[in-house]
Amino acid sequence: MSDALLSVRDLVVEFPTRKGILTAVDRVSFDIARGEVLGVVGESGAGKSMTGSAIIGLIEPPGHIAGGTISIAGQRIDNLPYEAMRRVRGKRIGMVFQDPLTSLNPIYTIAEQLIETIRTHMDLNERQARDRAIGLLDQVGIPAASRRIDDYPHQFSGGMRQRVVIALALCVEPELIIADEPTTALDVSVQSQIIDVLKRMCADHGTAIMLITHDMGVIAEAADRVVVMYAGRVAEIGAVRDVIKDAKHPYTKGLMGSIPTLMQDSDRLTQIPGTMPRLTDIPPGCAFSKRCPEAFDRCFVEQPDCRPYQGRDVACLLYDEGKPQ
Amino acid sequence: MTDVLVGIENLSRDFDVSKPWLNRVLENEEKKYVTAVNDVSFEIRRGETFALVGESGSGKSTIAKLIVGLIRPTGGQILFDGTNVATRGSASMRQLRSRFQMIFQDPFASLNPRWRVKDIIAEPLRTFGVVEGRAAWEKRVDELLETVGLSAKDGAKYPHEFSGGQRQRVAIARALSAQPEFIVCDEPTSALDVSVQAQILNLMRDLQDEFGLTYLFISHDLSVVRHMASRIGVLYLGRLVEVAEGKTLFREPKHPYTKMLLDAVPDLEMTGRSRQPVEGEIPNPIDPPSGCTYHPRCPLANDRCKREVPVLKLHENSKAACFALEEGRG
Repeated sequence: MSDALLSVRDLVVEFPTRKGILTAVDRVSFDIARGEVLGVVGESGAGKSMTGSAIIGLIEPPGHIAGGTISIAGQRIDNLPYEAMRRVRGKRIGMVFQDPLTSLNPIYTIAEQLIETIRTHMDLNERQARDRAIGLLDQVGIPAASRRIDDYPHQFSGGMRQRVVIALALCVEPELIIADEPTTALDVSVQSQIIDVLKRMCADHGTAIMLITHDMGVIAEAADRVVVMYAGRVAEIGAVRDVIKDAKHPYTKGLMGSIPTLMQDSDRLTQIPGTMPRLTDIPPGCAFSKRCPEAFDRCFVEQPDCRPYQGRDVACLLYDEGKPQ
Repeated sequence: MTDVLVGIENLSRDFDVSKPWLNRVLENEEKKYVTAVNDVSFEIRRGETFALVGESGSGKSTIAKLIVGLIRPTGGQILFDGTNVATRGSASMRQLRSRFQMIFQDPFASLNPRWRVKDIIAEPLRTFGVVEGRAAWEKRVDELLETVGLSAKDGAKYPHEFSGGQRQRVAIARALSAQPEFIVCDEPTSALDVSVQAQILNLMRDLQDEFGLTYLFISHDLSVVRHMASRIGVLYLGRLVEVAEGKTLFREPKHPYTKMLLDAVPDLEMTGRSRQPVEGEIPNPIDPPSGCTYHPRCPLANDRCKREVPVLKLHENSKAACFALEEGRG
């Protein structure tokens, strides 16, 4: 895709441990277009947060990017030196994390934190930066922004804090926001407000969002396309509607069936037997093969590539040409 | 079915959140209380799954703890099979307690890390004298492990050797070991991934059919509640605002809060649907709004809602506490 804003190709993230090298992210590729919301979904340990951290260059050592490329608007960012990467972070890529309390410094007012961020990246004086900060707080829906800007983080409720964090991420109009479980710590009613804010930001500013979450409902609500991850690999990438209504990968099918919904009456949920393998213990061939109801002999030896199939990409040998359907 | 197993009558619980004595004297302040549970009444019928839903701070977990006797109520009664649990002495409470058990949210915190799984599961067996002799309880533990989908060999392991879902199975086995009639499940799956959650929910249903269990199921997740519960109570700031059959509640929610809550749930079916924006947040429970505590967020509120506290009344098939419904507004 030529209009891709972010392009991730064959990304590999490894952690050397005493027991050998753990591959937390294994040859992951995807694109995000300008103004698009890309959902990344998976269970704990699927490598979704690790992919996000790799993009912003914040993988905790000894973990490191062991292969592949990450580029934003054509410029490679995975091999930038620390200082250069620091300028990309914040300016071109903003971040929103799960827990708003840990993303905000408790001993500075919201004003100080916003103004510092704005002035680090933009050539504005104190007054202009403050006006901009108030404008941002207003946009993310904080009532009486001009008064509340001088409050400390603890004076805000959880939902309001997450709005402040979003304002902080938006400070310098980044092209991409990486939102890692932005609503997981919040109640449903507040969650829906935050999703609305994110969607509006996306529409108003043309910001692309990489929305990492374990909650398929949030993805259904907010995302355009979705990447389903399993054991560090991409299982399926496609338009949200396609993936939800007509999943192709057996893991995605199982995942969709295991989610209780408000609408339908079902006595039993589909269950996937077993649990996701530990990273130390990924079977050869397809990582899902041991739990897969449709696995056949090739699945246990051959690792499937992500290939286009009916308008999406699926990493499953069932859809490989010349295979039993 | 009118066979009531657990009856909750006008249950209340206050927590003291005052500053220390010296500060109160110096700053000339009164004692402060949070009313976590405020005049809640409902009943749980034998063999059903009654669910309580609400957002954080609505008092769901406090009710769970009150029912199993971990904390004592400030007012009201908890009738278990006709006996008031709240006023029981500890000796007779102990006998009753073998008939109800609890499963907690966090399977990492609710299992003693220094005990082997078989000892964890056997503890209620020995405490309540369900079986006599080591051989008998070991056999029983093996059966229980297999009932919850683990293998008998797992008994010799420690909790840290299990994944979250497996630990929750151990917690369920422990709850079952006393052969209870009633199990209080406080957010049993919210720490688990969806595919594991599905396994645990299916297991809980199977066990209910097999042993004729009654569940009080507490969750913030409406889709899970929809899947599990036969009847549902909706809590807001310590008060019950609506009680209805599961299907009725989801098809025709009555109370404005329930409507808002249902509308806020991101659901897989709704891809692309636009929805009513949610107004405001839960107020601070230390200083709740007057009258109906939902009135500052309610689109139907009027002066009466600000002054008076509504009580649960029957509206068609649901019970709801709302003046707008009573007066036919909105």
